[in-house]
Amino acid sequence: MNDMTRREAEITATAIKISARNAQVYYGDNHAIKDVDVDIHDRMVTAFIGPSGCGKSTFLRCLNRMNDTIPSCRVEGRITLDGEDIYDKRVDPVQLRAKVGMVFQKPNPFPKSIFDNVAYGPRIHGLTRSKAELDEVVETSLRRAALWKEVKDRLHQPGTGLSGGQQQRLCIARAIATSPEVLLMDEPCSALDPIATAQVEELIDELRAQFSVVIVTHSMQQAARVSQRTAFFHLGNLVEFGETTQIFTKPRDPRTESYITGRIG
Amino acid sequence: MSERHILSAFDRDLEAIQAMIVKMGGMVETAILDAAQALDTRDEDLAERVRQGDKAIDALEERINEESARLIALRAPTASDLRTVLSVMKIAASLERVADYAKNMAKRANVLGQMTAIGGAGGSLRRMSKAVAEMLGHALDAYIHRDVALAEDVRNRDKDIDQMYNALFREFLTHMMEDPRNITACMHLHFIAKNIERMGDHATSIAEQVIYLVTGSFPDEARPKAESVTNVGVKEL
Repeated sequence: MNDMTRREAEITATAIKISARNAQVYYGDNHAIKDVDVDIHDRMVTAFIGPSGCGKSTFLRCLNRMNDTIPSCRVEGRITLDGEDIYDKRVDPVQLRAKVGMVFQKPNPFPKSIFDNVAYGPRIHGLTRSKAELDEVVETSLRRAALWKEVKDRLHQPGTGLSGGQQQRLCIARAIATSPEVLLMDEPCSALDPIATAQVEELIDELRAQFSVVIVTHSMQQAARVSQRTAFFHLGNLVEFGETTQIFTKPRDPRTESYITGRIG
Repeated sequence: MSERHILSAFDRDLEAIQAMIVKMGGMVETAILDAAQALDTRDEDLAERVRQGDKAIDALEERINEESARLIALRAPTASDLRTVLSVMKIAASLERVADYAKNMAKRANVLGQMTAIGGAGGSLRRMSKAVAEMLGHALDAYIHRDVALAEDVRNRDKDIDQMYNALFREFLTHMMEDPRNITACMHLHFIAKNIERMGDHATSIAEQVIYLVTGSFPDEARPKAESVTNVGVKEL
């Protein structure tokens, strides 16, 4: 009960990190995201749930302009990070993605050593000035991703030689090495076993002390476990967005209720 | 939620625990009415049947709890499904308590059968029992039909039971003051009246579970209450 009160207090207390107003996404003629208004709070985990094709991943990819890479894709509306429009012409998407990191569904380490995977971001963004500093960033990132102990003696072996769960944590280490402010995770556990999933979830909970995390997940229980706020998407609409506890105990919209209780929606 | 789950076994599990609640409710209603009849008509055989019947009610409560735990573990219910399971468990606990009170009434009926009758106490307690059994029946109807209006109605009727109890409390006091030889019987009768009054509280609690199940929130505390007998004796004695 106390925990719940604390969480409610946090939600009102933390600042808004990303704000979307009247967001629309089109793939050619297909209107994939319709009039979405969302506020992503700082230092909080926000989960996006919804059936396949509801637009949750599409919307997630708007938040660091990953959709720019799809030629037919058009984004309208206003999406801001700390009040600045991320679709402004002056914004460099590469710089934006250093601030808004991303972890994908399948672990995708570069075909490089474990060390170089994590060092990649800091190197291209010139975040470190010396080898010692880079070593430190790599170690810190691996430690935060709960992978350090397992790989510290084989940092120069290929990242692709790790197990699936380790590879995913390596990708998380790589994503946090640039000290992002927001971490976007697109079904980060769907290829992992329950133990690795629990480790990633524990990590997400720790990460929210520093970042805001947005996670797309097909597992409703995962959304319930890791997030403080949950958004339910359906057919490109944001149906309901609220405190996770409320969404899972007392959803307001019948479509949310149908979906989370496993009924045909 | 009238829609079906994609996983039909989930629907079957939920329906099964709800069917058990309905069955348990029927058994408890019968126990109340039989215990009151045994008391009023000094029917020792009927009282014995009520006492024996309590075991089956307890066993059913245990099964409901086991099935609910299984459903939570295997199906991870959320939203209205979660409220259904939670309310089933609380309703089963209330019904079990009511059955215990009925069993207690049956035990006291046997003792009272050996004593001189006190005025119209048997008839009064039977009327009170009927009113409570009816409240309980309506609370369970409200549960089956997810009928908030009926649940509210049950909730509002608890004050009538409280009033009946208050009247009997004063009546028993009078009998005891008139003749100390009535004290033993009146003490038993008073406990019976108090227990029936508690049954009314449990019926009210079931009605509140129905409101929670349907709306997701418990009703406000405010509901009609009868004058309390807690202070009786402050002036008189």
